[in-house]
Amino acid sequence: MSSELPNEEDSRSLIRKEFVGPPVAARLPTPPRTKETIAEKNASVAPLNPRHWRGLAQIVGFFGLIVILIFATNAMINVGLRHITTCDFGVSNRVMTGRINAEILITGSSRALTHYDSRVIQKITGRQTFNIGLNGSQTDMQLALFKAYLNHNVKPKLVVNNLDLFSFVTSHEIYDPAQYMPYLKEEAFYHAICRVYPDAWKWKYLPLYGYLVEDNLFKWLLGVKGFLGFQGKEDRFQGFLPRHTTWTGDFKKFRDAHPEGVKFDIEPQGVRDLTELVQICRQQGIAIMFVYSPEYAEMQMLERNRREIFARFREICNRFNVPLWDYSESPLCQSRTNFYNSQHLNAEGAEAFSTDLALRLAGSGLLPPTKGGTK
Amino acid sequence: MLFNSLEFAVFFPLVVGIYFLLPQRYRVLWLLVSSCVFYMAFIPVYILILFVTILIDYFAGMYIEKMQGRARTALLWVSIVSTCSVLFVFKYFGFFTSNINGLAGLLGLHPPMPVLKIILPIGLSFHTFQSLSYVIEVFRGRQEAEPHFPTYATYVMFFPQLVAGPIERPQHLLHQFWEHHVFDYERVTSGLKRMAWGFFKKLVVADRLALYVNDVYAAPQNFNGLQLTLATVFFAYQIYCDFSGYSDIAIGTARVLGFRLMENFDTPYYSRSISEFWHRWHISLSTWFRDYVYISMGGSRVAKSRWFFNLMVTFAVSGLWHGANWTYVIWGALNGAYLVAGITTKNLRDRFFGSFGLREKTVMRQAIMIASTFGLTCIGWVIFRARNLDDAWYVLTHFFRSWDFGQIKTEQFLLRQFPVAVASIAVLEIGQLWQHRVSIPSILGRLPLTPRWALYAAFVMTVLMFGIYRNTQFIYFQF
Repeated sequence: MSSELPNEEDSRSLIRKEFVGPPVAARLPTPPRTKETIAEKNASVAPLNPRHWRGLAQIVGFFGLIVILIFATNAMINVGLRHITTCDFGVSNRVMTGRINAEILITGSSRALTHYDSRVIQKITGRQTFNIGLNGSQTDMQLALFKAYLNHNVKPKLVVNNLDLFSFVTSHEIYDPAQYMPYLKEEAFYHAICRVYPDAWKWKYLPLYGYLVEDNLFKWLLGVKGFLGFQGKEDRFQGFLPRHTTWTGDFKKFRDAHPEGVKFDIEPQGVRDLTELVQICRQQGIAIMFVYSPEYAEMQMLERNRREIFARFREICNRFNVPLWDYSESPLCQSRTNFYNSQHLNAEGAEAFSTDLALRLAGSGLLPPTKGGTK
Repeated sequence: MLFNSLEFAVFFPLVVGIYFLLPQRYRVLWLLVSSCVFYMAFIPVYILILFVTILIDYFAGMYIEKMQGRARTALLWVSIVSTCSVLFVFKYFGFFTSNINGLAGLLGLHPPMPVLKIILPIGLSFHTFQSLSYVIEVFRGRQEAEPHFPTYATYVMFFPQLVAGPIERPQHLLHQFWEHHVFDYERVTSGLKRMAWGFFKKLVVADRLALYVNDVYAAPQNFNGLQLTLATVFFAYQIYCDFSGYSDIAIGTARVLGFRLMENFDTPYYSRSISEFWHRWHISLSTWFRDYVYISMGGSRVAKSRWFFNLMVTFAVSGLWHGANWTYVIWGALNGAYLVAGITTKNLRDRFFGSFGLREKTVMRQAIMIASTFGLTCIGWVIFRARNLDDAWYVLTHFFRSWDFGQIKTEQFLLRQFPVAVASIAVLEIGQLWQHRVSIPSILGRLPLTPRWALYAAFVMTVLMFGIYRNTQFIYFQF
């Protein structure tokens, strides 16, 4: 037993060293001078000499270089993004440079974007059709895009505005802010964004701020690629975005999370935004119609204030004499094979819906006659 | 004020510029005013709490130095209790009452205490510990009491380390406020480089990984084993880069002004044992606990059982320091248990490695030790990061279940983020390994101006372009 003790002590002292070590305070050097001697030494030190000034100038020069690089990079990204001809930026650039000039214009949210196959509608109606549906947007941002469209393009003959149950909800955050960054000089966009983010002046006036602070997805890399002449693979066809996807499990998750169903707000500003859209069309002599495109039937049962929202839609329609085509009862709504989630049709569903809509449109008399007559 | 904010980008050059232009006698005052502005950028009224702590310990220090005998000891305890009371009220009262009420509920009694929800003053635990350190050192006669109130207040409030350390000792920092710091190009640029490295760790590594970690740990039940494992490893890097990044910025900021702060991290994930890990992780806190708690309890110079008890208590209290939640206490106790197990199994491990011919210094043995230490640390991080013990248990028991490489992304962290995350970790590791062998700043400093500036500018622009700038408070601010 006694022979074990020294060994145990040895190992413990090793471990002790390993964990404990000397106290920090004991290892710290004691202050080398009294306050008085330090003050005396200080008195003899000149504040800044020429060598210091040279160093300071170098540091300022370096940060000046960084500021220049920041401005240059910001300009390069903006130019690059404005030169993209494909995908989302391709559509936005066509809007901003007045290269669309469609007769039938589709507006709305992601539901508009993925439901209205412009190629099908154009083929059946014989009218040039373009879809400017805006992913993740509410009516306020859709309105801003529509105003920008009118600023740069020939007025359309007919606007088909797709409605959603959240059409009266204003934006509480901007989805994918980077998509607006190159176009902040467009007053309509800038004001709509400022309504959500009063700090949006930083996006506009502080170089790179918007791309770096607001965008985690490296959209700025697209700008660099665009600047170097690379274009992404086109996924938008006359603005339409087909989604070749089958039913995902998202709806089940949503239903499990909201077994009681959901309610959508009717915000006065949201009502004003939708009304403004109609008024602009009226003032400019553009025909407008509302369409509530197909929505998966089981989802409709979870929407608790659906009737109330439709009553408000009809109120606006009656006031301004705007037709409303409601596809809530369409057979398309019954089958999951037409959708990839409860809100969005897949490419096949979109084709079926667009065909039906175009046929109805062609026979409705809503389209003004062309020089050669309607197809 | 956050280091990674526009406000700081304006604040810092202004403070530095005016600091070097001012005569020495006004500099401490200027630092104090600047520190107040820095702190008040969070919740202005909370500066009063800080002021109360400063006043208590300033007068305690003065009188402890003058007094003798029991009165001196009594005054020390008055100071410790009153300073800790502030910490208790703001940080632990809610935890305490909810536990008392929970216990009362279990016994079928009416909840006896009101539950207060108070916002924790930012960095309260850090400056409380720094204040305590001053009073204890004065009591032990290792530090003169500081008679000049603005100097003492600046010691507690010095803005680079005010909200998340390093927790300084008076012997190391206080006398520096009496020194005259000239504008020295080498020192200033060295401080700026240290800050840049800290920003890289924080903005590029930590905050990007946080996107993944936050998604997974918000509802771990929704993720597969691969995602849980990845999120845990990412969290290990996130918390390291977040906190050591803050320390780098703090040390760099202070260095620009001419101050030397203590090092807080020393590549902790290269530790070969948990005990070594605690020598290299949050050094200012672990040495604080060692000097003022562990050694005060007798340290290791007691019976073995008491030694182990001391270790367990020190680490459990250290866990509680991190936050008022049982997950932190258990995390601390787990680390204590690791140390105890490390001590008791040392011979066994030596024999085990010896049976494979792996001597102490062999590369294989070192690699196994580093990997196993990292694994044990990650288990601790699960408990540390989880919202509650149920989540922690779920993560720990689902690491190796249903790995699905097709389901690796999360809502906030898409596939395109992975290359940046992995590349940033690679840069971090290469940088650290390289820095271990040679001093990177000194190598870069020897380059001619054009390539040197080009490299620096490329690094700054990389940090700028690949950083994350939203909702990026430092994790340790909450402690």
